Amino acid sequence: MTTEIVLMWVALTGFVVATAMFVFGVTFAKERFVRIAVIAASLGLVPQIMALGVRWARVGHGPYIGYYEVANGLTLFVVAFFVIAAWRNPRLSAAGIAIMPVAVLLLGGAMLASKDSLPLTPNLASYWLFIHVAFANLAFAAFVASFGLGVAYVLRKRSTSGKWAQRLQKLPAQDVVEELTTRFVLAGFLFWGAMIASGAIWANQAWGRYWGWDPIETWSLIVWVIYAVYLHVRFTLGWKGERLAWFAIAAMPISLFALLGTPIVFNSIHGGYIGRADG
Amino acid sequence: MIRSVPRKIATVLGSARLAIWLLMFVGAWSMLATFVPQGDSSLPEVAAWAVAHPVIESAVRLLGLHAAFSTLLFRVAVVALAAATATCAWRRTKVAIVRMRTLRTAAGADAESLTAEHDLEMTIRPSLSDADALSKAAGVLAAVGIRTRQRGTLLFSVSPGWTVWGSPVFHGGLVALILVLLLSGFLRSEGLMGVAVGDTVPDAPESYGVLESGVLRDWQNVQRSIRVDAFDTEYRTGSIDRGPVPTVSVLDGAGNVIKSQRVYPNNPLQTGSLTVHATEFGFAATLAVLDKGGVERGRAIQLIDISEETSGGTVPVEPLSLADDKGNRLVVAVTVPMERRGGELSVPQERVARVEVFAADGTPVLDEVIAPAGEIVLPTGSTLRLDELGYYARLSVVDDPAIPFLYAALAVAGMGLTLVVAARQQLVLVTVAESVDGPMLVAKLRLWRNVPTNRTEIERELAEAFQTDEGERVS
Ligand code: HEM
Repeated sequence: MTTEIVLMWVALTGFVVATAMFVFGVTFAKERFVRIAVIAASLGLVPQIMALGVRWARVGHGPYIGYYEVANGLTLFVVAFFVIAAWRNPRLSAAGIAIMPVAVLLLGGAMLASKDSLPLTPNLASYWLFIHVAFANLAFAAFVASFGLGVAYVLRKRSTSGKWAQRLQKLPAQDVVEELTTRFVLAGFLFWGAMIASGAIWANQAWGRYWGWDPIETWSLIVWVIYAVYLHVRFTLGWKGERLAWFAIAAMPISLFALLGTPIVFNSIHGGYIGRADG
Repeated sequence: MIRSVPRKIATVLGSARLAIWLLMFVGAWSMLATFVPQGDSSLPEVAAWAVAHPVIESAVRLLGLHAAFSTLLFRVAVVALAAATATCAWRRTKVAIVRMRTLRTAAGADAESLTAEHDLEMTIRPSLSDADALSKAAGVLAAVGIRTRQRGTLLFSVSPGWTVWGSPVFHGGLVALILVLLLSGFLRSEGLMGVAVGDTVPDAPESYGVLESGVLRDWQNVQRSIRVDAFDTEYRTGSIDRGPVPTVSVLDGAGNVIKSQRVYPNNPLQTGSLTVHATEFGFAATLAVLDKGGVERGRAIQLIDISEETSGGTVPVEPLSLADDKGNRLVVAVTVPMERRGGELSVPQERVARVEVFAADGTPVLDEVIAPAGEIVLPTGSTLRLDELGYYARLSVVDDPAIPFLYAALAVAGMGLTLVVAARQQLVLVTVAESVDGPMLVAKLRLWRNVPTNRTEIERELAEAFQTDEGERVS
């Protein structure tokens, strides 16, 4: 096993430990474990960043190409986004109980996938790749954060016995959680829009057309429209409470499908970043 | 009272529900479309899908889902969405103007004006000095994330006027974007042309093999031509293999070079509204027809594509049609036999041309292999000479004058959305006033966007700080 793979397993272990700590700390209302969980998640980022750095130096490009690299990049942003939010506002830490499992599943999936490095095809060799991927990662991280807060909201609301309300009592008040969920959705919506726009500009450079209704492009638009609907039901119809939280919860997996599922399900010129087709 | 028609239309278009339904329609329709092959029924994958899904196919055909993004239903929805968004952009503008005025007025407010008009009152202990009350209120507000400043006896935190413009600018940017996209569809042309190295072709519809041209695309005033100057079979920049790369020039009507460069992925030739990409390459055979006396009668370039499907590895793009002295038509198909190395096709060191000649009815007349400068005597007595066997580049040529406007609309929408996400829109004014019941904390709060707290929390925290103070609770 190479250094890179060993480091990556260490990172995954850190994230698994963090997840377990979140589950334990929240379930048994042990705040100390929740704090340790945030530290474990933060520490897990160190070997992951080192592993990605080693790989970057070896293959000559960032984590943009192939399922292993793309899922890795997404995990990095999801965890980093969350721990930054949790360090800045420790009251949000408990949302890790819903956010860290997403990171573990993503990185776990990446560890099972082929770790071969794919070359930078002439089509991908552009600085737009970096910009486009960075926005995709940022957007997904924000969507996962809104998902985590949505889950926390629903758990507290649904808990008839009041158990979960107690377990998650350190989180801010429900209306503040709701407000924050919307703010993360808004941030994700902006980054996702920037991903689409930078992709369109790049496609115009690389292929001579800014939009071709390719399945991957189309699904990215679908996700954007879904979140626009979220913002509209929130701001124009005044949706609140549980159904708004469910909306944020349900929308996140669709964004994940758009990022990782579409190149596998559809035959697309755009599948090059997962190592499919010739895009 | 009967309302005027334009007003009624504006009410419908400005309806929050319509916007949501239209957005949901666009999303759901796009989703369906990704599961149905797109294109004309003559396309093999469309035909195969129709056979495999006979029951759904009739519904799909009826809805126009094989041409999901150009069908009337979809276009109408997009235009309706644009009209609705325009109406809402206008409304958001009016809201922004009102908010900006409110912020401006608040920026000039003082303790007197606030005492005269406010929306929150709270009785406080008479023993508390004004200064102490204000510093306590400032502390409470800071704790929930609102940092205030003080002018006389007024505590204030008022966002600048520009912060309210995010939403209208974003919605306006979206309208501009949809309009530019529609305009682009009308003005744009996009096509493929094959150009042999050394050849110059006019940028006119007849030069294209495949061409899609918008209804407003003006071909009359296009005088330019496109030339392929050179071809590198391998080209590297740094560590990246760019593949086979042509050098392309665009010339003006007088034949002057406007721009010339190597064209490869992510490095198209761009000049004005024109963008040229290289999509494929193949061979180009330049043939001359000589009469019995050896005098050149005509000359043609035959383009040849590389093809995995043929045994020789190449196929003519379009066979040449020649007439002999007696007016009989002959079809000439030139191919370049490729080498196969480990299943991969590769160009042989010494290129030769295989020339097959058929009669008009398809009967083979001749089949010979010649090298450049080689000649073949046709049954009619005239001679076919292979003058050159070089390369050709298949160029994708796009002319779209709307692109800069597209980018501008994206930039405007992006700036608007950034403001929406990042700019705090709030107005907080607090002072101490005298009332018949004693001193009172009075305040005006407008917490529109991106405020880390809410009115309930502020009221609760202030009440807690002022009223439970030293156990003295004023009801
Ligand atoms: C292309 C279609 C549209 C998209 C992608 C879109 C997107 C958004 C987004 C992201 C927001 C939240 C940020 C903000 O406040 O501006 C929003 C808010 C809003 N939109 Fe739209 N919108 C669209 C069309 C419309 C239409 C047709 C209407 C008319 C009903 C509308 C009315 C509003 C209103 C009233 C708000 C609430 C603003 C507030 O409360 O501050 N939008 N929209």
